[in-house]
Amino acid sequence: MASDDHNLADRSGKLFESHKGYDPRVVFFYFITAGLLLLLGGGLAYQQLFRGDLYHDRERAQNQRRILVPGPRGNIYDRHGELLVGNRPRFAVVLYLDELRSRFRTEFIRIRKNYRESDDKELPTADQLWTLARVSVVQSYLEQINAILGRDLKVDAGRLNKHFARDLLLPYPLIEDLPPADYARLIERLPVVSPLQLYTSNTRDYPHASTASHTLGFVGINEDVESDNLSGSDLKTFKMRGSIGRDGLEFKFDDLLQGEAGGSVFRVDPLGYRLRDTKAVETLLPVQGKNLVTSIDLDLQLTAEQAIGDQVGAAVAIDVRTGEVLVLASKPDYDLAKFAPRLSHAEAADITARGAWTNLAISGAFPPGSTFKILTSIAGMRAGVIDPAEPLDNCQGTVRIGNRPFVCNNARGRHGEILLPGAIAQSCDIYYFAAGRLMTHERLAAEGRRFHLHERTGIELPNETRRMIMPDSDYKERVFGEKWFPGDTANASIGQGYVLVSPLQMACFAASVARNEVHTPPTLVHRPDAPTLKTESIGLTPAQRSALVEGMVLTVTEGTAKALNIDQFKIPGVRLAGKTGTAQKVVTKDGKTGIINYAWFICFAPADNPEIAMAVMIEGDTIGEEFGGGRNAGPVAATVIKKYFENKNRPADQKITPFKVE
Amino acid sequence: MPKRLDQARPFLTLGLVVAAWLIVPTVIKTFTRASFFELTAPVSVAASYARDLQEYWSLRLRSNSELIEAGRDLARLNASYDLAVQQNVEMQGEIARLEAILRLPSYTGYRSEHARVVRRDFSGWWQRLTIRKGKNFNLIVGSPVVFSGGVVGRVSEVFAYTATVDLISSQTVRLAAVVEGDIRPISYQGGLNPTFGSAGGVIEFVPLDIFASASATKRLVTSGLGGVFPPGLTIGSVIKVEPSTDGLFKSGEVKLDDRLAALTEVTVLVPLESY
Repeated sequence: MASDDHNLADRSGKLFESHKGYDPRVVFFYFITAGLLLLLGGGLAYQQLFRGDLYHDRERAQNQRRILVPGPRGNIYDRHGELLVGNRPRFAVVLYLDELRSRFRTEFIRIRKNYRESDDKELPTADQLWTLARVSVVQSYLEQINAILGRDLKVDAGRLNKHFARDLLLPYPLIEDLPPADYARLIERLPVVSPLQLYTSNTRDYPHASTASHTLGFVGINEDVESDNLSGSDLKTFKMRGSIGRDGLEFKFDDLLQGEAGGSVFRVDPLGYRLRDTKAVETLLPVQGKNLVTSIDLDLQLTAEQAIGDQVGAAVAIDVRTGEVLVLASKPDYDLAKFAPRLSHAEAADITARGAWTNLAISGAFPPGSTFKILTSIAGMRAGVIDPAEPLDNCQGTVRIGNRPFVCNNARGRHGEILLPGAIAQSCDIYYFAAGRLMTHERLAAEGRRFHLHERTGIELPNETRRMIMPDSDYKERVFGEKWFPGDTANASIGQGYVLVSPLQMACFAASVARNEVHTPPTLVHRPDAPTLKTESIGLTPAQRSALVEGMVLTVTEGTAKALNIDQFKIPGVRLAGKTGTAQKVVTKDGKTGIINYAWFICFAPADNPEIAMAVMIEGDTIGEEFGGGRNAGPVAATVIKKYFENKNRPADQKITPFKVE
Repeated sequence: MPKRLDQARPFLTLGLVVAAWLIVPTVIKTFTRASFFELTAPVSVAASYARDLQEYWSLRLRSNSELIEAGRDLARLNASYDLAVQQNVEMQGEIARLEAILRLPSYTGYRSEHARVVRRDFSGWWQRLTIRKGKNFNLIVGSPVVFSGGVVGRVSEVFAYTATVDLISSQTVRLAAVVEGDIRPISYQGGLNPTFGSAGGVIEFVPLDIFASASATKRLVTSGLGGVFPPGLTIGSVIKVEPSTDGLFKSGEVKLDDRLAALTEVTVLVPLESY
């Protein structure tokens, strides 16, 4: 103790060491320590308070994954609730890879050990070993399926690796599109708790195959399914394939029909496998898209398509009062069932070869032939050059206009001096050459524009043609750089020359004439409470109107469409008003140049109080073949119209029970 | 201190046993479990025989006139069953003839094994029966089990003298069903059932045009398409179907036969050809 005191005294230089409670040097370190603690605390607070969200987001992005499942598309119905397009389930057996992680690892170790023990100098790389392990494990599960279904399927290593690389969280489909019998076998024979599970997706279902195929359209694959309602748009997302409208109503109403995607957000481990025995962070069920009730009448559509048969052509029927399209048929067509789940290259090539992609009813533009004479008649009467009670010319079968003789194609001899109803019924060209000459082509073109024949109808379908033409001097000057000749007027007045229209336009025109108005905007959407259309009146006097309709009725009873005046097409108590037309076009086919015919028929019924209007166009496919509106197009229209009135007059207890759209 | 250690000894022992069980190889665990069932099976079977004997003696206590009346009823029942069996044989012959004419594949043949129920084991997790036949009668795992009211379940385990049957009310049983009169297969699976409540199941992938409610039930039967159960056996009554949000299918609930909880005898349909 004495020694210690001595040492202390030596160190302090004093005999007694005194304690000083305050040392400025120590205080300095207090400040430094406090400063450091403050810095540390501040840093922690900064990280926690200001950067916490950032770290949370990073943690989420690293540990969570999102799976999006598309919602099924809405159904498409006809006006009576008959299903035109629906969805059918696709049953698949899938393997949940995230439940096999430990098995993959065990298999990897086993294979590597085997290689090492066999002294194989060419030891596969780790990636190759992983591929072998995965294929081996997945094949063992596929063998279970093979045993149950009696198949001999092998795992596609390339496809499996691709799935691992891109869609690890999605179940791996072992077999897709299982038939019901196989699906039933797997329900009973697969263990309830297993990485192997039955999985259902959906694809479009077309119960009526090719019926209204151009109108209904088809869907394609949508790789970019999105969901605004499922959180985690910033997360890595795996998307199941959806579908998107590519043509027809499927395309035009895609926003309506498209279902709302659902999905789940899962927690994953650092390798990207879903954590086992953990529930999804969030789950949202997909919702089916809205249903579309079209104006199409399935029964009439089937009747029209059957009546056209193997011919090339189109038929359009319109509800005169509302403009709703009852029939929109185009042949050749294609089987929509072959589009689900996807169209093969061979099928696509076949459709192309048959020229079946085009919807002739709206995308084709054809010379309307003599059906155009109804417009010429209206224009002539409104211009004051046609008086229904007075003959306009004396048809001797031919007339010289300019330097060319023009023949009356419909006169077997000559028509002589005939009145307007007779001219319509007999389709006298000479009469209309005179009408065109007297009223001028500008007046005729203006009347066509008044009936909106120069522009698209605006129907809710893609690819409606823009090639319709109501020709005038400006048109010819602009397109051909030539002036207008009297012969051009003659051609235009009988619906030939430069005049081009689509079958849909002519159906709308027939509906407008039936209503004694100038515009019928067509629609494919059925509205049970749709109001009757009301547009500008044609402006004919009652006598003019009567003569026009009488001429159209005579066409059917004794005129160019008298082939329809037989029991097969007659409708008790209903008078059909129609007009035939046969237009010619010079074509080169198989190295041979000649004329093919377009047979037309436009009509409405009943003549006195019209309900339904139609236009039918049948295209001759053989050069020089005899083809006529009354003989080829008329029967199609008459069959459909007869069916319409049969259905309408059917007793209530025999009517097809309408399907309730839920 | 020593006293406290002494008190903790049971927990220590339990911990050691649990730890030991965890590290024991799976083979030994499986063997132990199977051995346990095999060792306890005679006790269960003996108890079952004792119950049968008890029932026998309880019946013996009835008056002679009651027994004679019961004997007559039994004789009538036997006669009616004999007639039904004879008719079935004739019908089977007719079906076989028609199948031969139409060249239809015949359904899997089954051998019937009637078995007494030894024990019922109902919990929230599983619903099982133990029956008094096992490997000694060549029962096969997966064989369907039926009773007069329809499907009972499937054989899940087979022991030397007993077998375990998973009831259709158990979540581990799934089968391909059809609504009576329809041909489209739907998936039936046992539901999450309370231990003492009425049993039920769930159906999925029900076509949209099938409707059912508690007041207008539909009979759910086996489809025969799965290859395990013969077609047309009653599963239960569909009491509710409702469409799923995706609009593809409906899902629903099935009420099962209440007698499932009180079965004393069942029939195992052993496939003649193992699948």
